[in-house]
Amino acid sequence: MTIQITMPGEKLIQGNEACVMGAIASGCNFYGGYPITPSSEIAEHMVRRMPKVGGVSIQMEDEISALASIIGASLAGSKAMTATSGPGFSLMQEHIGFAAMAEVPCVIVNVMRGGPSTGMPTSPSQGDVMQARWGTHGDHPAIVLAPASVGEVFDLTVKAFNLAERFRTPVILLYDEIIGHTRESVSLPESVTVIDRVTPDDALEEFWPKEADPDGVPAMSPFGDGRRFHVTGLAHDHRGFPTNDTAVAEALINRLHRKIDAHLDEVIEVEEYLLDDADVAIFAYGIVGRSAKLAVERARLNGIKAGLIRPLTLWPFPTAQVAEVARKVDTIVVAEMNLGQLVGEVERAAKGQAEVVSHLRTGGEPVTPTALEEVLAKIDGGNA
Amino acid sequence: MSDNSKGLLLAGVGGQGVILASMIIADALMRAGFDVKQSEVHGMAQRGGSVVSHIRWGKEVASPLVEKGSAEVLAAFEWAEAIRWVDYVRNEGAVVTDIKTIVPPGACNDTHAWSTAYPRFEIDLFRSRLIETRFVDATANAVQLGNVRAANSVILGSVAAFVGIDLIHWEEAIASLVPKGTEEINLAAFHAGMNAPMAQIPAPPAEPAEYLGPHLIDIQQDWCKSCDICPRVCPEHCLKLDTDGTLLVINADACTGCRLCEMLCPDFAITIRPPAAAEHHEPAISGRKM
Amino acid sequence: MTDVKIDIQPDMTTEVTATERADVRSYLRQWAMPHVLCPGCAHGIVLRSFLEAVDQLQLDQDKIAMVAGIGCSSRLAGYVDFCTLHGTHGRAPAFATGLKLARPDLNVVVVTGDGDGLAIGGNHLIHAARRNIDMTVLLLNNSIYGMTGGQAAPTTPEGAIASTAPQGHIEPGFDACKLLMGAGASYVARVFAANPIEMTKVMMDGLSHPGFAFIELVSDCPEYFGRYNKIGGGPEMLNWIAVRDEGIAGPLSEKRFVEHIPVKPPAIGVKSGVLQREIRPVYAGVRAAEGQHT
Repeated sequence: MTIQITMPGEKLIQGNEACVMGAIASGCNFYGGYPITPSSEIAEHMVRRMPKVGGVSIQMEDEISALASIIGASLAGSKAMTATSGPGFSLMQEHIGFAAMAEVPCVIVNVMRGGPSTGMPTSPSQGDVMQARWGTHGDHPAIVLAPASVGEVFDLTVKAFNLAERFRTPVILLYDEIIGHTRESVSLPESVTVIDRVTPDDALEEFWPKEADPDGVPAMSPFGDGRRFHVTGLAHDHRGFPTNDTAVAEALINRLHRKIDAHLDEVIEVEEYLLDDADVAIFAYGIVGRSAKLAVERARLNGIKAGLIRPLTLWPFPTAQVAEVARKVDTIVVAEMNLGQLVGEVERAAKGQAEVVSHLRTGGEPVTPTALEEVLAKIDGGNA
Repeated sequence: MSDNSKGLLLAGVGGQGVILASMIIADALMRAGFDVKQSEVHGMAQRGGSVVSHIRWGKEVASPLVEKGSAEVLAAFEWAEAIRWVDYVRNEGAVVTDIKTIVPPGACNDTHAWSTAYPRFEIDLFRSRLIETRFVDATANAVQLGNVRAANSVILGSVAAFVGIDLIHWEEAIASLVPKGTEEINLAAFHAGMNAPMAQIPAPPAEPAEYLGPHLIDIQQDWCKSCDICPRVCPEHCLKLDTDGTLLVINADACTGCRLCEMLCPDFAITIRPPAAAEHHEPAISGRKM
Repeated sequence: MTDVKIDIQPDMTTEVTATERADVRSYLRQWAMPHVLCPGCAHGIVLRSFLEAVDQLQLDQDKIAMVAGIGCSSRLAGYVDFCTLHGTHGRAPAFATGLKLARPDLNVVVVTGDGDGLAIGGNHLIHAARRNIDMTVLLLNNSIYGMTGGQAAPTTPEGAIASTAPQGHIEPGFDACKLLMGAGASYVARVFAANPIEMTKVMMDGLSHPGFAFIELVSDCPEYFGRYNKIGGGPEMLNWIAVRDEGIAGPLSEKRFVEHIPVKPPAIGVKSGVLQREIRPVYAGVRAAEGQHT
């Protein structure tokens, strides 16, 4: 299905606003949120725009209930989203797990700020990368997307909704305060392709809510449309009913992972830049990816064969893509605005085929192109 | 008992406001200058249980209890209660009764009126003793005035004619005793009761139910958890928990269909079926399979 | 365990038209029964009364969404043949809020317990009440945490024994109805599980109320509360809650239960019936074209 964009063309918009526009382009019709810096603009735009598209917006009493409300709305057939930042994201972990277990499509935006705790509300950070993957308890799949520009915020919001609907899973959109508050000109497309959840065949006589197709994704019927079924966060069987059968529980958890792991090509998106002849590659994402790109270009001018690998999908981790880069280059520089969260994943993927070094910042200072340029120069000097 | 004293009985079921009504009558009589004694019997009366109040008044009254066959009037808040207490009314006395029917639980064949155990309305039921029966639709009158709880004041209004004291005493008693804020509606209800026409008594169904035998106690044993609630609540002692925890029907013929066991079973393990349905015993559950 | 004949009589002061009564078991997921609750647990009685209310009101089975949290009471949602959501601990009103706003045609019923609704989920409950979201909340109060093994709950009476209060609970208990009245719930009622017919009537009333309807069902926990406090099993616990029913105070009503069975801890009487009723605008979210709260 394609949805026409009401006002396509070149626009100067803010990252958080682009997120709202992407959501609406994807057919989002329910927003439940709770104010928190630096994500509050999303709520403010949503409350103005949702009514215009026949949707609903509500400010809940906290982030726990914000995510609960969109899970409820999603079960009722809505496309639903919430947005928050670190402290609120911590509160949402409970329901990220619920949405994963009960297989409820929803989109969670985390505009990252400095942590831990209340941390630095107005400063950027990439400190929630591991929390986005492992924040809730238990084994569960995670899809986490990381845009690096306002335009990408729009595109990846659309992708987040599509993946959520496609795989019946929560999808997290993770970007930092700088992108959220950046205004830049964006060329909005005429239309976007939208994926909707699979609904059960009307001819079906017996409907079980967790009976998966060969794809691993069960068809989803909205509440109130005549099919009566149970939804629970307890381990459950194909009927959606709680079970203590360990074999059934294991099969369920495995399927939750398999439905995504079997379709990595639909999920993983990586930008590769000047890698063909590169000796050194920077691995960076989000706003750091932009600094890295400039650093690579500047290094090239200085004769350093540098390249960039920038994952737009952080989770599932693009292991194959990083491994491929590791085969090509001598060194991978992992640059993050945290004290080393994805560097371990890169090392794991590289399997020793390339040296992995990290360039890390915390405390709210961004990673600058100049700093990365210096790192590249140093590595080049060391090799020469 | 002094010769010049008179008696009155109020009867109803718990929750109807019998006690308040009797307090108002007693208060009105005192305001009219009588010595008044009032006593109520509701010791074991839970909601739905019988409540009766005796009032005696005169120049000097020694005991509060009305002797059988001596009351001027019986104010019944419910038809079965009228029949239950009519023995207290003197010959040529009067019965004022609401046309309300409240079927006592655990003492009937079905929990709706006109079952075999519930007495039918009869205008001349007490004629042999020359007792006048006055039917009042107190509930309808009270509802019309906007508050169903004022029904007891309607009854009071209808009773007033048989007590014979000045209106002012009634009005003062009502105003002083009803809950604050409801004075006006209760006074209006009282006046409505004074002027209420004889209520049309509800017609019995064309074919009154005949007694078809005891109800069937259908136990779904695989849902029963032997909690012992049903044997303990059954008024007729129909059920018993065996030593191994199996629920047994030990007195099937006594089941009156009150459904207490069914309603208080936490496990949906008991279904009470009326005698007619008991004959062609359908499968217990017609539930939809998902 | 004392051998006391239980003296519980349903309130028959209002006629119940029951000529065409359906088998309420047709509203159950037969394949899931018998349910997981302990022998004698009054939660099942509450569920039955609720299904009677649904049946009497002839509600569309396809349009009922039951949302539950975590705990014994919340397990009830698994056994009813509606659309049912067994969410997370205490959050049922929040799930239900999203559900109701997204699908206003649904009849949303929240089933929660005293720990679920008043401890971990108190915040969600009061805000759903404040907003006047059109839903019916059934809070089954058994005065203890049953599912986790009898720990003290916000409603455990002072002095009562719980697994985390072996010497007797040192905190005061919570009056759920007062909390909800304070939060602005447009309908607040309390009924006792020992009174199934009255439960059904009040639930019919609450389900029909436009806006947020809160009904506290005074239920019991024979397995932990009854055992720890030496009250007894299911029958004795039913009696214990029955004697606490004071009805609505006021000269128009007589004391309901006069047969007082000595119990430890003392049975603290509470008022039952409809305690608050108010008609005010129902929350529909920011949804109208003009972007107004409606």
